[in-house]
Amino acid sequence: MKEFTESRLASGSGELWDPATRAKFLDAVGDGSLPEETFNRWLGQDYLFVRNFAVFASLAVAKAPRPGQSVLIAGLSALDDEVDWFEAHARARSLDLGAELHPACQRYVDFLITAGYSEPFEVALAIFYGVEVAYTVAWGRLGAEGPYAEFIERWTHKDFQAYVRLLLKLADEHPHPRQQAMFNEVMRHERDFWRMTWEG
Amino acid sequence: MSAERLHDILWRENRAQAEECLAHPFVHGLDDGSLDPDEFKRYVAQDAFFLRAFFSAYALAAVRAVERVEVVERLHGLMRGVLNELKLHEGYAARLGIDVVNVQPHPATRAYTDFLLRVAWTAEVGEIIAAMTPCMRLYAYLGQELAVGDHSQNPYREWIVTYSSEEFEALARELESLLDQLADGTREVRSAYRYAMRCELEFFSASLTEGW
Repeated sequence: MKEFTESRLASGSGELWDPATRAKFLDAVGDGSLPEETFNRWLGQDYLFVRNFAVFASLAVAKAPRPGQSVLIAGLSALDDEVDWFEAHARARSLDLGAELHPACQRYVDFLITAGYSEPFEVALAIFYGVEVAYTVAWGRLGAEGPYAEFIERWTHKDFQAYVRLLLKLADEHPHPRQQAMFNEVMRHERDFWRMTWEG
Repeated sequence: MSAERLHDILWRENRAQAEECLAHPFVHGLDDGSLDPDEFKRYVAQDAFFLRAFFSAYALAAVRAVERVEVVERLHGLMRGVLNELKLHEGYAARLGIDVVNVQPHPATRAYTDFLLRVAWTAEVGEIIAAMTPCMRLYAYLGQELAVGDHSQNPYREWIVTYSSEEFEALARELESLLDQLADGTREVRSAYRYAMRCELEFFSASLTEGW
């Protein structure tokens, strides 16, 4: 994970990085002690988040030059699979996915959609990378065992890491003066999202 | 008796939040002149950042309404109002020695502009107007409430004069009339109005608690 934690944007985010990638929620997923109700709440909000993140990803794809576009299209396609996967899990758990967006999730989504429309490709890319790298590092600290092993496995899979690596390479190839500030915004939203999943 | 119009309904439904803003320590500080000048400077810088997003939201609403020339013209009138407000901020900026162009937005400012622009990029014109109306109506309300007192010695009298002016009231009414014309009382419209009002309150709070 050093390649990610020591990457330009992650190290540049300073003290925002840790709370974006470490959370009580994740510790409890890792040791299997997380109450199912808390997990289900996260599942419902993360599902809504992913659906909106896919909208952001589409906007980023539309702005991407070749060949970077391929990486983002692959990412978008993976998000579509992830939406299916969430829906299957929700059905298995008899969960209603029609919940309202929690304010913390709403703020994150507002940020992403606005940036998707307003920001140039280079900045959208830093945001894209930020969302994905925070996830892979946060989950990557956990061992794939216990009742939530399947979820841990999903975001610690080497294919997911390889994809995040490609995003990092792309972000480094397309620098922009506003990348760091917007990457930092992603870290703030990740932090608030984890707090929301834990505190309700 | 005519039926209550949408803008009246939404104002009534959110009146408690507007009163919370009126009672807010920041607004109280403007009223009695006790507000820390540094807090006012931060507020002006954040407000300039906000107003640029607000202006963009009008522009995006106009794009959505481009087939209705009358609506576009009215939106242009409102956009001129925002530009005048921004000039006022530039005046403050010159006198107070602050930069209102390169502003690092507070999280509360960013949440507000992200919300506004997300709606402006993706929603129907009625919902965009619903997200924008609280700002205008609330400031007209605050200005008029504060104007009741004697502010001849108040360092913030220019703020009070601006937002209690007939010109500003006319802009707020114009926007409310567009709201009545273009929006229905849907869940999305109500929610946009309510959320924007909540953002206003948090904007005042952040002006007291956040740094530069």
